[in-house]
Amino acid sequence: MVPLEQLHLSHVLQAVSALESIVLRSFGPEGGQVLFTRDTGQVMVSRSGKRILTALHLDHPLARMVVRCVWKHSTITGDGSKTFVLLLASLLRIIHATATKDPHMFQPHNSTEASEAATARHLADRLLEFALTELDELIVLNVLPHGFRVSLENFTAETHDLSCQTLLVSFFRTRLGYAYCDFFRNLFCELLSHWKVKDDRPSFSIQFLNNSFLALHTQVSGVPVSCSRLIEGQVIHRDFATPCPQVRKQPLKAVVFNGYLQPKLLTTGDVLELRCGDKVTEDRGIVHFSSWTEKSVESIIATLQSFGVSVLLCALKQSSAVLAAATQAGMCLVECVSEEEISLFTQLSGVTPISDCRRIHPEHIATLTFCKPLLLGAHRYVHLDFHDCEERLKVKPCSLVICAPSEGQADQHACAFQDAFRMLLTALEPVRKTQTALEETIPSKKCTSLHADNISNGTACRVHLHQKCVTETGCVISAGGTFEFLLHHALHQYGHSCSVSVNTSAVVPVSQLLAKALLSVPRQIYSRNLKHFLQAQTRVVALIPKQPHALSANFIHTEGPLGDGKLSLCSCKNGNMSLKLLDLGLESVSCKYQLVLAVLQCLTNLLRINMVLQTHAVLHTESHDSLNAHSESSEGEDED
Amino acid sequence: MHIASYLSSLMQMSRLVKKSPSVCTDLPLNSSDVCNKLRLMKELLKSSYGPTARLKQVHNNIGGAVVTTSTSSVLLQAISSSHPIVSLIKGSILNHVSRFSDCGLFASVFCLSLIEEAGRCDLSQNVIIRVNKHLLSLCTAHLQQEDCGCKVQLDFCSSQSLITLARSVISSKPTCVLSEPESAHISRLAVQAFLLTVPCNIPDKVRLGRTVTIPMEGHSVLESAVFPGLLLDTPENISLGNLCSPLRMVLFSASLAGDLSELGDGRIEVHQGVDTDSQIVDQLLELGKQVLKDEVKLFVCQKVIHPVLQHYLRCNGVIVIERLGISLMEPLIQLTGAQPVATLHTTVPWEAYGEVHVSVRPFGSKTKLHLHPAGKTTICTMILCHRNETMLSELKLVCQKTEHVLRLTLREPCALLGGGCTETHLAAYVRHQSKNDVSESSPVLGCSQTEYLLAGEAFCRSLESVATSLEHDDGASLIDLTHAHHWTLPSDATEEHLEDAAALCGCGVVQSCQNKKWSYLNTEYAEFSPEPLLTASPLQPTVLDSFTAKVNALEVAVETANLVLDVRYVIQDVN
Repeated sequence: MVPLEQLHLSHVLQAVSALESIVLRSFGPEGGQVLFTRDTGQVMVSRSGKRILTALHLDHPLARMVVRCVWKHSTITGDGSKTFVLLLASLLRIIHATATKDPHMFQPHNSTEASEAATARHLADRLLEFALTELDELIVLNVLPHGFRVSLENFTAETHDLSCQTLLVSFFRTRLGYAYCDFFRNLFCELLSHWKVKDDRPSFSIQFLNNSFLALHTQVSGVPVSCSRLIEGQVIHRDFATPCPQVRKQPLKAVVFNGYLQPKLLTTGDVLELRCGDKVTEDRGIVHFSSWTEKSVESIIATLQSFGVSVLLCALKQSSAVLAAATQAGMCLVECVSEEEISLFTQLSGVTPISDCRRIHPEHIATLTFCKPLLLGAHRYVHLDFHDCEERLKVKPCSLVICAPSEGQADQHACAFQDAFRMLLTALEPVRKTQTALEETIPSKKCTSLHADNISNGTACRVHLHQKCVTETGCVISAGGTFEFLLHHALHQYGHSCSVSVNTSAVVPVSQLLAKALLSVPRQIYSRNLKHFLQAQTRVVALIPKQPHALSANFIHTEGPLGDGKLSLCSCKNGNMSLKLLDLGLESVSCKYQLVLAVLQCLTNLLRINMVLQTHAVLHTESHDSLNAHSESSEGEDED
Repeated sequence: MHIASYLSSLMQMSRLVKKSPSVCTDLPLNSSDVCNKLRLMKELLKSSYGPTARLKQVHNNIGGAVVTTSTSSVLLQAISSSHPIVSLIKGSILNHVSRFSDCGLFASVFCLSLIEEAGRCDLSQNVIIRVNKHLLSLCTAHLQQEDCGCKVQLDFCSSQSLITLARSVISSKPTCVLSEPESAHISRLAVQAFLLTVPCNIPDKVRLGRTVTIPMEGHSVLESAVFPGLLLDTPENISLGNLCSPLRMVLFSASLAGDLSELGDGRIEVHQGVDTDSQIVDQLLELGKQVLKDEVKLFVCQKVIHPVLQHYLRCNGVIVIERLGISLMEPLIQLTGAQPVATLHTTVPWEAYGEVHVSVRPFGSKTKLHLHPAGKTTICTMILCHRNETMLSELKLVCQKTEHVLRLTLREPCALLGGGCTETHLAAYVRHQSKNDVSESSPVLGCSQTEYLLAGEAFCRSLESVATSLEHDDGASLIDLTHAHHWTLPSDATEEHLEDAAALCGCGVVQSCQNKKWSYLNTEYAEFSPEPLLTASPLQPTVLDSFTAKVNALEVAVETANLVLDVRYVIQDVN
């Protein structure tokens, strides 16, 4: 018999609340680190909700499902995993309260539980539908006017956009605490400006950094954090396999090998038969074969010498004959170079790796300005830089060295960097993308969402908004709950107008539910002091003028690129207020918008489940909690 | 609380074996259990600090070897982590020690004191973290200054200050059980070995050589010695009578045992009557013949040499050394200029041969082959002797640490005053500075002036508690109120007799005199700015600490303490 477990709303709520209780410890300005030890004794510290949740090794199916949703969301956006859990828990609580209060809202059911579940399911579906159709407009109309625009177009080390810096500081503060946020912000900006491709979109270089971050950074433990720095060129995380000669002429020539330099005479499955009296083997026997492979090594090395090559990077471990031959030829050889590093090397040098050693052409040969050993912490690595990279790729390649007293901390800093790239990429995404997708799915939807006086010119308004959104990338807003307060207010207003205009007062307006749930986020931020919460709310609500249209006009004024961030922030109509809010930091509107959508999708998925089947396989061959991106994407996105 | 228990029921690994759920601790620094563990760890490390430290015996429950030590790297590794916070601190300190070889106990005692003091002063963790970080930058900036009162520039013209530095490291490890002349001898040897590894003619970049340490049990410490070049075990009784120096030598990195490993993964079928072994041996003998023809007199192989080839070479008067090991390859290549050979079938190129002088040195019952080059070398061998194994292994460890510390001076040619004087000086400096800049710093750090001063006081007390830890015989620790150096007063003396009892401060630079004022370290005293020492001071410091290691230890300690203070939740996988 397969044991059945009827799933009640309260079970779901309980599971999510348990997750919330962990995440809360590192949430907000007063939050701290969560410390893990693995069964291997490895110590890990983190403030990232994603890492905390994925490290838990949960067994509860619902909790695992939530964690997967969080994982998926924050892998894309790099941010918002703790808010995700918080918002989800809050929504569940409100839905639970609504459903238990009025269980027979829609259709009569046999049991209270079943009708409760049905109500909850219905509410979640409506919430998602509402968010997919109306949320973007509400945000564009009510939140964006209070935001600023981050531009990375003219991103150099000296003249940073202030708002971009603030965005990064806020991000690093939530990840690494107050102590290091400024330091890592500067390091991050420096890294970005080095890799900024001239005359190209900034998102291009951020995407590149995000993809090749593994090969681009080196973690060093046992050294203070303040020793973290950028170093020119690339670091290959291997040591020289041959003694590296002291002084060399420059520039150097280098090649990359994919295979073995010494040919393998017998591949798996081959059989070498040694017979007696055979003409070939009679005088030399097996020795003949091994001498042949040695001769071919010599000829390869001789060919390389004729090209003037002095650095060999190999993906595989080479035989001692190869090492000795390279040493005698005065070449440096590095073996077992990882795939990521080879890929970065080939991208930066513009050469292709050699797989057949007998065919070496000039396009295989890269030019380096130097190639030397580099001692970082306990390890000796190979440090090299590319010749004429600035002319060819228009970037100054550099690598990041992340130092920390312990491995866990260094790892945490590296993760924060990686997530910062993702966060910036999401922030730079225009909001429009989701809108076009929506228009395709629901082209006939009437624009009933806007206020009564807006209905007449609803369509025009929508077109106008879209045109604006095309240019609008990288919208940010003050942190500290501003987004939630504004959206709460907007949803509240909207719900009010809905209940007035539409004559179905029996139906609970879902926008009110969402509005209520959103407030839980700032409530946690100011959890230490309720007074601060109220003050913050009043301050934000005071920014909202009576006429929404005047606001969007205001927004257009501030639309232009903010050359000197501080000045143009002041020039904003609510200058004083904005500046004050700036102290709280900034967060990306796009990230927040995607977060709300992701939470609602997760909620719908959660509430659609009504039963858990515990199957007992003989062997648990099924991979648990797999981090496989393919299975993740196929599972979570059933939003039909 | 019900949430925590519910959570543990959620946490079960879905693997084949049911695993026990993780243990969660909320706000670990508030739990008395964690605090007790940290206090115990602090007491343990504190009592192992300094030259008069109490030794620790480490032995496991299954009868393994007993280790006597007071070295942080050994001690910390022996502490099995009972709590994640303990292992976090342990990991940080061990990482520091593996990079810098010194000041591990300083870092751990300071870090644990910071955590303990932070628990006492009832401030928000965020405030303490920010103030700690600010004061740390004050300290490091002060230490980097040219005129810093606790820094000594090292003079490479005389070896005196280097020997003092080496001796401070060696004498801080009482497990070696060295008498005064013995520790002086070892310090001199350490400096001598270090100087031998520094190349004389420097090309564009300096590349230090290597010291190979050979421990020898059962001899007097004073018999320890340093030789330029390498000392290798002799294979059997050899006579060098008929060999003229220098000798031509060849070095093989491939195995000469007669195996063919590089053919690939395929199968080899040998039919009856084919004798592959003899074919390979013939090939090896070919090699031997060529080497003999080239007048090679020393034949060295990293791996195994086939006995037939060995016999053949020896019969022809060649010294054969096999199983050299990978660690000696690089020094031998540097010493002789030989290039390692790994091909068996091609003739050895002429450039691959090296040249070296060989002599035989008797050492007690053993004879060693001494290889030394014709010219200068940066390779040297240190023979360390001691009476028994425990002391010898600690001595070897200490000598390696000393070498590392001496090498660090090349990066920054300065040292810090030892004997607790740097700590008291820094504490006085920070106390003075933080009183002065309280109005500017507290708004920047986002805290009130009182909070800033309270957190600053906790920082200074932690620094002073490290200086206090040097004293283990119930003596009192004092600070003088002019130079802020550290003084110890034996338990049988009172403050009035201070001038007679302690003639010199901890580092030996300041002399006691009539008009000096002292204060006990654990009492409050009025803040003051430490006066710089007169440059024409006749006294040389007797205790010096490595500058690079100590600055790093200071930073690592504060950063680790900050990290620990920031921990709000602990999840422990107890499987």
